[in-house]
Amino acid sequence: MINPLIYFLLFLKASLFSTGGFSNLPSLHQDLLANGWAKESYFGQSIAIGQISPGPNGLWVISLGYFTYGIAGAALALIAITLPALLVLVISAGYTRIEQRTWVQGAMHGVSLAVVGLLLSVVWTILHQPGVDWKGLLIAVGAFGLALSRKVNILIILGLAGLAGYLLYR
Amino acid sequence: MKLQDPRPSKWLLFRIWASVGLQSFGGGASTTFLIQRAFIEKHRWLSMEEFMYFWNLCVLTPGINLVALTVLIGKKLGGVWGIVVSLAGLLLPSAAITCLLAATFLQVENVAAVQAVLRGVIPATGGIMLIVGLNFALPLIRRSYKEGVLYLLASGVLMIACALAIILLKLSVIIVILGAILLGALFFSPGRGSPVPEDEEEQGEQQ
Repeated sequence: MINPLIYFLLFLKASLFSTGGFSNLPSLHQDLLANGWAKESYFGQSIAIGQISPGPNGLWVISLGYFTYGIAGAALALIAITLPALLVLVISAGYTRIEQRTWVQGAMHGVSLAVVGLLLSVVWTILHQPGVDWKGLLIAVGAFGLALSRKVNILIILGLAGLAGYLLYR
Repeated sequence: MKLQDPRPSKWLLFRIWASVGLQSFGGGASTTFLIQRAFIEKHRWLSMEEFMYFWNLCVLTPGINLVALTVLIGKKLGGVWGIVVSLAGLLLPSAAITCLLAATFLQVENVAAVQAVLRGVIPATGGIMLIVGLNFALPLIRRSYKEGVLYLLASGVLMIACALAIILLKLSVIIVILGAILLGALFFSPGRGSPVPEDEEEQGEQQ
């Protein structure tokens, strides 16, 4: 049984300790699986749906919420990703006072590095889903190359990947 | 550039944000582009300098940067209610569509063809995610390079160590981030001399 309060707090915590739309994934991945509230496959599927649907990238969490806890889960997830953004008002008020301190700049550099590390672990998590074999890895490399060229729209890349999946695994 | 009086009606504000949200496929970059076009170029309620300053504050804010940016622009253009309608406009229509897609997916999940398509799409999202990471990493690497080879090396080690701490050691994300803040403040602050030897970084990850 899902406890709504703890469920919400897990999403809120993941969002509070993330920057950007995806770095909340490792935290949610750890916590939801530990509680038995999500299947491994939900994560890859949610990100795929998040990529297809409009809005900021971070909305992939809405689909994770929907998969794990229905409409209530989607609503809780939406609130959980919205609230931390309000902290920008506090930061905007306080930042001018401390931005010159050297330790703040060093700490920010550290956080940014950690964010990249977290994203790498996200990539690893996705490519470690059950069902991703060597053909899947080739698709990942292909998608990486196409996205790197910046000439192909993400939706087209995903469409091609879907087509490849259909032909390879049908 | 002469700015217009920034007092749009709440309904107009909502509609602009909703159209930004609904038009932005493929995430962050297109959303940022649409916001710039709507608020700076079309309506001239914001200057580019203001936008950049807002963006820097958003990078420091936890969570989705674009949502924080929406809060700041909403506040400037309409106070507290400006924030509310801007967030609602950006998030609600897009979130509803996301739910709809997720629900549709659950209906067809077990169809073999859908499974096959998904087995192609999921690794592709991994490849795209790697680009997102690369986009974050490049400015960091450039900045570190300016500080010297040791600084660059230490930055790279911390980056990889954070990834490994989660993948291999299964450390909690919060511990990794707090560790990175601490190590960053201690060793990456400007004017603190040369960066750390690598073994100290490892220690920090294992706390």
